[in-house]
Amino acid sequence: MKEQELRKILDKAAGLGASYADVRYQCHDSETITVENRTLKSYSSRRLSGFGFRVTTERATGYASTSNSDLESLENTLRNAMKAAKSFRSQRKPFTKTEVNKTEIKLSTKTDPVAVSPEEKVSVALDANKAAWVGDEIKSTITRLALSSDSRLFMSTEGAKVRVKTALVGLAHESVAKANGAMEKVGYSESMCAGFEFIKSKDWNSFAADLSRLAVEAAHSRTPAPGTYPAVIHPEVFGVVLHEAFGHASEGDLVFTGESVLHNRVGDRLASEAVTIIDEGSVKGGYFCPFDDEGTKKGRTVIVKDGLLKGYLHDRNSASEFSVESTGNGRAQDFENVPIVRQTNIYLQPRHHKFEELIEDIDSGIYVMGRGWTGGQVEPGMGTFTFGVGPSKVIRKGELAETVRGVVISGSILDTLKTVDAVGNDLKIVTSAFGACGKGGQRASVGLGGPHVRVREMTVGGR
Amino acid sequence: MHLAELAVKEASRKGATEAEAYVEKAKRIQVEFSGDIESFKTVESLGMNLRVTLGRKSAMYATSISDENEVETAAAKAINIAKVAPEDPDWKHMNKRFGKASAEGYYDKTLETLDYAEIVDALTSAANRMESYDARVKPTRGFFVTSISKASVANNYNESAQRRETHIVIWMRTKAEEAGMKSTGTEHQEARFWKEIAFEDLAVKAAEKATKFLRTKPIPSEKMPVILRNQVFANVLGVMLSGPLNADWVQKGRSPLSDKLGIQIASEKIDLIDDGIRRKGWHTKPFDDEGFPTQRTQVIVKGILRNYLYDSYTALKDNVESTGNAQRPYYWLAPQPAPNNLILKPGRTSPQDLIGETKRGIYVEDTIGEWLSNPVSGNLNATVTHGYLVENGGLTDPIKGVVISGNFYEILRDGVAVIGDDLRNSSQNYAPTVGLSQLTVVGK
Repeated sequence: MKEQELRKILDKAAGLGASYADVRYQCHDSETITVENRTLKSYSSRRLSGFGFRVTTERATGYASTSNSDLESLENTLRNAMKAAKSFRSQRKPFTKTEVNKTEIKLSTKTDPVAVSPEEKVSVALDANKAAWVGDEIKSTITRLALSSDSRLFMSTEGAKVRVKTALVGLAHESVAKANGAMEKVGYSESMCAGFEFIKSKDWNSFAADLSRLAVEAAHSRTPAPGTYPAVIHPEVFGVVLHEAFGHASEGDLVFTGESVLHNRVGDRLASEAVTIIDEGSVKGGYFCPFDDEGTKKGRTVIVKDGLLKGYLHDRNSASEFSVESTGNGRAQDFENVPIVRQTNIYLQPRHHKFEELIEDIDSGIYVMGRGWTGGQVEPGMGTFTFGVGPSKVIRKGELAETVRGVVISGSILDTLKTVDAVGNDLKIVTSAFGACGKGGQRASVGLGGPHVRVREMTVGGR
Repeated sequence: MHLAELAVKEASRKGATEAEAYVEKAKRIQVEFSGDIESFKTVESLGMNLRVTLGRKSAMYATSISDENEVETAAAKAINIAKVAPEDPDWKHMNKRFGKASAEGYYDKTLETLDYAEIVDALTSAANRMESYDARVKPTRGFFVTSISKASVANNYNESAQRRETHIVIWMRTKAEEAGMKSTGTEHQEARFWKEIAFEDLAVKAAEKATKFLRTKPIPSEKMPVILRNQVFANVLGVMLSGPLNADWVQKGRSPLSDKLGIQIASEKIDLIDDGIRRKGWHTKPFDDEGFPTQRTQVIVKGILRNYLYDSYTALKDNVESTGNAQRPYYWLAPQPAPNNLILKPGRTSPQDLIGETKRGIYVEDTIGEWLSNPVSGNLNATVTHGYLVENGGLTDPIKGVVISGNFYEILRDGVAVIGDDLRNSSQNYAPTVGLSQLTVVGK
C-alpha cells in the first residue's frame, strides 16, 4: 500500500464529517519455535498486517480496522469508524494539541531475526533443551525461541507521518523436576530488542541447565511459613510489581475515570523518600518505544520524585482531561486496537546501597529472587497486588540461608512503597519476547526494572 | 472453493504429504465505558493457519489475509520450515474423522443485525443504574465485546467443516468512595446470546458490592473453613485442572495426574465432566478446531479419574480416540488439547444453607491471582479482594487483602465439605459454590 493512497483515503474523512482522523498501518512478523523434551514440538510463523482508522467528530471518537488491503475495503473501514463515532456522544474533550512529527526511526540491528535460516534457529532451541537434562530428577523441559519484527506507520490529518521499526528476540526455558514426590517447575526467559546477534551472543545451554538445577533445588525445598517479613526484592520482581501495581494506576485514563488509587493525589507523598519512579521510551535492556501510536515522541517521564507524586502518564485523550501535554504513552497492541494509555519502560531510579548492605540488618526475612516468577495481578482501585515468584532465599541474621519455593508476595502498593527503606545501586531493566502487559484486552510489550530494593513489610504466602 | 480448501490444495501441489488449513473470519464490536461510553470500535479480520507435514516433519504458518495471493506464500513458507524440522517419531497423521456433534446454542442470529444504538443504550443504562444505586458509587471502567466468527477447517483427506459462532463478554467495575475510604465492585458475564446478558443485574451487584466493602476489617492469620463463590471456584478449577488433564502434559510427564487413570484422586462427592455440547456453553461447538466432533467426556466419576482430554495427535500417540478437545485460542496458534466446558457437577445445598451451616470461616466473593497457583505442584493460592467473615451461620465483617492457600489435590481428596447447587460459569469453567473444610488464611 502506497502512502499517497492512504493519504487520499484519510483526506476523505473531513468530507464524511470528521474533525480529525488518523490511520495506522502495521506489519508484524513473528516466529516461535518450541522444543519439548528434546524434540521440536512446533515451529510457528505468523504475519499480521492491516490498517486501523480512528476518527473524531464533534461528539465522539470511533475506530475500525481491517486486514484487507484493497482500496474499497479501506474506504469502507473509514466509513465504519465514522459510524462508530456517530453512535454515541462522549463527554470527553477533544484531543490535546501535540507536535506534528514527520520521522522514520529504526532500531539498529545486525541480523534480521526472521530472515535467519530455520535450521539455525531450531538448533539453538534444541541444543538448549538437550542441555537442560541435568539428571534423573528432571521430568520435563520446554524451550521456546521467539523472534519478531514490527513495522508501524502512523499518519494523521494534522500532517504527521511517523514510521517505527523494531525487532524483539528472546529465549524462554522451563524445567519440571520431581523429588520425594514433590513436583516443581521453574521457568524464565531473557529477551532483548535486537537482531539475531543477541541470540548468538549468549550461552543458552548453561542458561537452561541452570534453570534445571534450580528446579531440582526447589523441589527439594519447602514453602515458606506464611507471614509478614522484611524483604529484599530482585530488580525484575520489583519492576513487575511497580509496573502492575503502581504503573497502571498512574495511567491517565484510569485516573480520570476514578478507577485508579492515585486519583487526585498529585503532590502527595505516596512513597518513602528513596523512591523515584520513571517511565522512559528508550532505555538499555527495555522495549524500544521512541514514538507512541499517536505519533507523539516518548521521552522520559518522572512519575514519582523522592516519594512525591509528580504526574500521570498520558495519551492525547487523557492529557486533554487534565489540560496537560501527552507524555507519549498512547499505545495500541496492533492495528486492530485503539491506542490507550500504556507504560513504556517503568523503573525505579537506583540509589547507592550495595546488595550486602540491603540484607545485613535483616534478622529474619526473605530475599525474593528473580528467576521463575510467574506473574501477578492487581486490583487497581484499591492497589491490592499479588505475585507469584520463583525459588527464593530465607534471610537469617543478615545472611542468605536456605531456598524456599512456591513463594507468593502480596500487599497494598501504597503501603509497600512507604516501607521501601533502602534502594540498591544495581539498575537492571528487562523486556520480554514472551509475556506482554495486558490492559483492556490489549497486550503490549513493555520494559521494567530497577535495582534491588528493601521493604520493611511484605506479606508472603506459600503456594 | 473457499480459502481453507484452496490452501490445502496449494500445499499439496507444492509437495506436502499432508496439509490442514484453519480459516477464521471474525467481526467484533468492542465498546469501553465508564459513566459514559469511552470508545467504540469494530474489527474485521480474516486469518489462516496452515499446518503441513513432509513425511514425519511438520510445520505451521499463520497469517492475516489481505488478499488471496497470500495463500500461495503461506503454503511455500510452511513447506520451507517443514523441510528443516527434525522428524517427529510420534507423528502418525492428521485428523481423519470429521463430523458434527448435535450441539445447540452457539450462534445468536440477532447479533447480525444488532444496532450500535442498542448496545450504547444498554451500556449507558447499566452505567446509570450503578450511579443511581448509591450516591457514593461511580462506574469506573467496563468493556463489552460481541464477536461473530466463522471457522472453516479442511485437510487433504478430502474433509472439511464449517461453523459459525457468537460470543459476548461484559465486564464492569465500579468504585465507592466515602470519607477517604475506597472500595470497588466488579462483575462479569460471558454468554452466547445477546438476550442473556443481565446488564441491570450486573450493574446492581457491582454497585452493591462496592458499597459493602467501604469498611473492611483485618483478620488474623489462621486455618479455617473457606467457602468459594461459584465463579471463584470455577476459575480455580480451570487453573488447576486444564493443564493436568491435557493429554499432552500427561504424555510429557508434566502432569501430576499421569498414571492416575482409574485411581481415586478426589472424594466420592466429585463428578467432573468436559462437555463440548452443553447447550449455550461458552466453548460449545459441533466440532473442535481440527474438525473432530465434540462430545461429553466423563473426567472424574465419584472421585475416580476416568479420562484425559485429547486432540488427534495425542490420541494417536496413546492409541485412543480423540475426545474432540483440539483448541486454538487464536487462529495463529497450533491446536492443543484444552477443556471445552469443564463442569463440576452441582450438589443440593444452596449457598445460603452452606453459609448457614458454617460456625466460623470466610466466604470468598472475589479473588485475584488465583491463576498464579501451580497446577504441577498443586499449590493453590489466591488473594481475596472481596470476602466476608462467616460467624455462627451468617456473613459478618467484610474483609479484603487476605491470602488463601492450600494444596489443591489434598483439597479434592479430603477438603471438599459441601458442594452447592448454584452452577455458574466463568468463561468455559463451570462450578457451583463450594465449601472447603480448611485452608490457610493469611491475614494481618
